[in-house]
Amino acid sequence: MKTQKTALVAGLLIVLAVLVAVLFRSGGREVIRKSAPAAAGPPAPSPDASAPKPTLKVSVFFVRPSDGLLVPEEREIPVSDSLVQETEAFIAELIKGPTGDLAAAIPRETKLGRVYITKEGTAYVDFSRELIENHPSGTTAELSTVYAVVDGLAFNFKDVKKVFILVDGEERETLAGHIGLDRPFSPDYSLIGKK
Amino acid sequence: MTHRCVASAQGFAVLLAAALVVAAGAVPARAETAVPARNEAFAAGTAKAATGTAEAADQKTIVIDPGHGGLDVGAKGKFGNLEKTVDLAISLKLKTLIEQNMAYRVLLTRDKDIDVSLENRSALANNNNAVVFISIHANGSFRTATGAETFYMSLTDLDEETRKLAYLENNSSQLETRISDDGKDAVKMILWDMAQASYIKQSASLAEAIQRELPALLTTEGRPSRSLAVENRGIKQARFKVLTGVACPAVLVEVAFMSNPEEEQKLIDEDFQTSVAHAIYRGLVSYMRTAGSRPPAPAPSPAPLP
Ligand SMILES: [Zn+2]
Repeated sequence: MKTQKTALVAGLLIVLAVLVAVLFRSGGREVIRKSAPAAAGPPAPSPDASAPKPTLKVSVFFVRPSDGLLVPEEREIPVSDSLVQETEAFIAELIKGPTGDLAAAIPRETKLGRVYITKEGTAYVDFSRELIENHPSGTTAELSTVYAVVDGLAFNFKDVKKVFILVDGEERETLAGHIGLDRPFSPDYSLIGKK
Repeated sequence: MTHRCVASAQGFAVLLAAALVVAAGAVPARAETAVPARNEAFAAGTAKAATGTAEAADQKTIVIDPGHGGLDVGAKGKFGNLEKTVDLAISLKLKTLIEQNMAYRVLLTRDKDIDVSLENRSALANNNNAVVFISIHANGSFRTATGAETFYMSLTDLDEETRKLAYLENNSSQLETRISDDGKDAVKMILWDMAQASYIKQSASLAEAIQRELPALLTTEGRPSRSLAVENRGIKQARFKVLTGVACPAVLVEVAFMSNPEEEQKLIDEDFQTSVAHAIYRGLVSYMRTAGSRPPAPAPSPAPLP
């Protein structure tokens, strides 16, 4: 009886350890599961409909007008089992633009096609042609656009190591005449400005 | 740095294998795509040379690359000014300054408002054995950033093998002794599209030399001027398509921001353009001195301005 009890405790500990490990493996990401209101009362009749969806806090980078460097705005996106869905939600926030005094890093009319992520952690992010057609051009502007995407994805999703930017499903020579888009980018945090 | 050196021995075996594959003609596609671009630019280069001085035989070449041109207008100003126009104006002034004061032949990748592919710009430098490649641009940002900065190529996104080779070429003459002549050619072919990696240290020095002069623009009387001065954004590295294939020290100068209305007004001002050309020229001269090339003659003092 006693050995059975220790076995049970040991088993529980192992399960706990695995759970902790899984949680940590999913990165330093902050998942906010909004708990149901504390007020007493009958439980909601259909929990799936009324339970608030858990969200993931992400830093979305926009352009500081004074020097063109990137600074973050905090956003919440829905948690998903799929990394692709989460990264697509992240890019959608990036395109939506800033709410404060910062400037957008991506032309507003741009639409996200889709994201594909390889086993090795290279994310292919496909934008509509407005990304280049409505781009103001200029080295600093192009760097803002590229690294708002690349640094943003790598910073928020640790499984994304490199980012390949595509336009209308195709590889482009440059974004708008300066920065080469012909191979994947590693993150470069030197373009992130101090607050 | 030293650990890279150790690792490079293994990397070399892989690289050599790749080189042999290319040498054997198993991967002809790359060689074929590289050749037409070289030939076209070669033709362009010789045409320019023919119209230049006849005694160009032992003269070294500097290539100046006015950004954009034709349908590619570059950054646009609030008052409707276009980057391509300013890039060309400054480039022409810089060409004149170099030719008047230094013993170099200067080739422009374009001398009028036409489209030139990025590949042909770097090929012009390579096919004429250029000693320096300077690309001239005016910057653009979302909103109102200001200032001058000089860029050189970023290597962070190179694959491991190319980076190892670049390391060797930048740091020693080991490459010459460790690889046979045949192998060397094959390696050069593989790296044609990444030629700039081998010159990154010199490109950094050139960028530093130019950026030292750029923010402190002088008046036509040679005095510092508040109205000409631009903020110093320093030297930076970025992945410029136009620089990747250049097989000599190469930089891209962002003179000021076309997207900033105040700087747009400066950029179209001829005094400002002249001052910028002089600043880049002074940086080039000081780079050439430290790079140990033979001293240019006549003496490298800026010519009196018109
Ligand atoms: Zn430009």
